[in-house]
Amino acid sequence: MTNEIESKDTVALHTFMQDRKTLFCYSGPMTEDLLTTISNPVRHQLSDKETEEVVAKRVFGVFIEQAQNIIRYSHHKTKATGDSIGTIAISVADDGFLIEAVNVVDPSKKGILEASLIELSVKDQKELRELYKKRLRDGPPEDSRGAGLGFIEMARRVKKFEFDFVESDEGALFVYRGWVK
Amino acid sequence: MIFEASQRTPRVELTPVSCLIRGECYPENISEWSEPILGALEECLGNDETEFVVDIELYYFNSSSAKFLFDFFEYLEESAEGGKSVVINWRYRAEDETMQEAGEDFEEDISACSYNLVVVEQAVA
Repeated sequence: MTNEIESKDTVALHTFMQDRKTLFCYSGPMTEDLLTTISNPVRHQLSDKETEEVVAKRVFGVFIEQAQNIIRYSHHKTKATGDSIGTIAISVADDGFLIEAVNVVDPSKKGILEASLIELSVKDQKELRELYKKRLRDGPPEDSRGAGLGFIEMARRVKKFEFDFVESDEGALFVYRGWVK
Repeated sequence: MIFEASQRTPRVELTPVSCLIRGECYPENISEWSEPILGALEECLGNDETEFVVDIELYYFNSSSAKFLFDFFEYLEESAEGGKSVVINWRYRAEDETMQEAGEDFEEDISACSYNLVVVEQAVA
């Protein structure tokens, strides 16, 4: 596969990012160190937009959970260091923000992930809050590397979310999109 | 005992009669950060003092840290059940509904400690 990037492609990348109003985008190996480094610029971007502080905090909260999901669960790793590869972006959308994340999903975990997100997608705020508290008391599910609360936390912070699984050369891509206002 | 704040962790101050947690909490590795704190807390609670006051003022914490806070409160509850008078002040800014809701969520599991939701006017970074 050739990878010739011409000058017009560079301009196209710029135009593409500007047109879709993407404030921040990272695609590549994601680590906790990197997350520490990018946290502040991401915050600056959000505050530059004269965003209400509560909205900026919700966006930041979803961003952190998504970044940590990539770190913990991406099935696509760098050869040398085993770091998790994924893409994360924050864009202005409608009159709020869209937070997007993509990573290759572990085929053996796809079913359970899909089922739990379907379950979350039909719950209202009150039910999400109850589920969050229940999970906090009961502890994380067996195969969770976090508190098992991340997707519930995100569902509580977004106006709506969508997810999808898309086949790619690297395996099935897990696509998560959350809108915050 | 003082655990200094970092970009991703709050300042924690522990004395034989008090605990203050202030800042943001989304550590790189939650257990690595929280274990020494829970250990120090356990030591503080094990003394003969009759009262213990906890002030928590967080501006943001991630979902992994929620579990830490839950465990932290469990230690306090056990101590209060054992006879110590424990007061927890959950402090949040007036406009910060996320932290207000979080404070209310934790309150539901607390019965032996005295738990207060306290609105603060201006947060000190």
